[in-house]
Amino acid sequence: MQSVLAKLNKVSGVRGCMIVNKDGIVAASDFGVDVDENSIGAVASSILAALEAAIKRIQVGRLKKFMVTGNENKLAIVDAGPALLLVLLQREANMGILNVEIQEAAAAVVEKAKM
Amino acid sequence: MALFDFFKNWRSTSKIKGLEAQLQGRPTPQVYLELAEAYEEADNPQRAAQILKLGVARFPSSPEIGRRKAEVEKVERESEKRRLKEKIQTHPNPILYARLAELYKADSEIDQCIQICQAGIKAFPRYGGTYLVLGQIYIEKQKWEEAQQNLEKSVELDKYNYMALKLLAQVYMQLGRPADSARRLEDILYFAPGDEAILELLRKARETAGEVAATADTQDFKENQRGKGVPTPATSNSRTKIVGRLADQQARSTAGARDRVLNDGIQNLRQVAGVTGALLVDQYGLVVAADLDSTLDEGLAGALITNVYRTSSDNSIQLGVGTFEEGMIEGEMGNIHIVQFGDMILAVFAKHDVKMGLLEKAIRDFASQVAQSQNS
Repeated sequence: MQSVLAKLNKVSGVRGCMIVNKDGIVAASDFGVDVDENSIGAVASSILAALEAAIKRIQVGRLKKFMVTGNENKLAIVDAGPALLLVLLQREANMGILNVEIQEAAAAVVEKAKM
Repeated sequence: MALFDFFKNWRSTSKIKGLEAQLQGRPTPQVYLELAEAYEEADNPQRAAQILKLGVARFPSSPEIGRRKAEVEKVERESEKRRLKEKIQTHPNPILYARLAELYKADSEIDQCIQICQAGIKAFPRYGGTYLVLGQIYIEKQKWEEAQQNLEKSVELDKYNYMALKLLAQVYMQLGRPADSARRLEDILYFAPGDEAILELLRKARETAGEVAATADTQDFKENQRGKGVPTPATSNSRTKIVGRLADQQARSTAGARDRVLNDGIQNLRQVAGVTGALLVDQYGLVVAADLDSTLDEGLAGALITNVYRTSSDNSIQLGVGTFEEGMIEGEMGNIHIVQFGDMILAVFAKHDVKMGLLEKAIRDFASQVAQSQNS
């Protein structure tokens, strides 16, 4: 898992990333900035759980990703099978390239979780 | 003089840049204070207030940041009160009354708050937001009967209003009606499933009501009821189906111009290839303009979007992104873009292949239309 995060962290615009289980417990993390990883993991997993239940009623199908943009950074919360991949990004990051990298990392997390 | 201004601006910008960089590294309460002061000196009080809010969220035990934030917010509120009073005179609409009343409430000017609410209700009796503010005031004054009447009216006009339903449930508890309280909380779970605060209140209400502790999932139960054609609690008590929209007949007669601007803007968004719908919700969770697929209940969609927005914005600091600006839900069948415009929330439903550049431009155009309509 750590290698998946290390690879993702090399992509321009990524400030750090982590993998949490669906209960929000941190499984692996790699941040180059000062953040409260446990807090991010817990809050992100509870937001996603609420979202998953809510969007069933507005016809967008199964939740794949939730991206939150603030005035400082962006956070991508990505469904990765039994886990969630959380990626903290620079606010102005180019999402065209990053979306591909993030999806590949999420797929790698799913594969590794099967092992 | 021009040279002096140039150097003054250059110094101010450099100072702000340096302090912003410090915030990204190792923030301290002092950095937030200095940065807020720098923005004030640069004649940007809105950003100063924003910085102080962030500072309070990061360092809640710092008394100095809390004090400065309260001072700045008080100045902002006074200025906003003046603006809203002028707008009510020239371009009245129900949201203005509710917002003005809230500002008086924030300053503990209760009599003025009640007066504004009553004037708002007289002018626009079918807008739920004003009844909600009045209900909140009566809760603060512990006048439970009056609070109940106003909150029931607010829920009658907008059956998906999270705050009105939650407060009404709490008022019913105060009035010794826990079973009614539980029903209102169940209504909330329909559009805010898994909301932990509501589940906890529901557990207490059921305990008080002496009902058998429900081990069955409330939502599954409600889904089964729907599948059998049994009306949801919101309709089983003959509650009105009216959704609290500005498009309401009476509101339309006086707030028609603004409503048209918003509806036109929403329809323009739908012209973007790949956009399948859009809706605009006010700060009370009421849909003020919408153009959605006919299979979607716009009141319910508005409530769901408000809930997503509230959850995300309340937690954006803990998520490490700063103050919430926008969110994007990506599902298997499409995306929902959620953008904050001042005190309103815009949600745009789109297919995966929507051209993001075009969509962003359309959203920007819409934002400027909303801003113009608010300032006109």
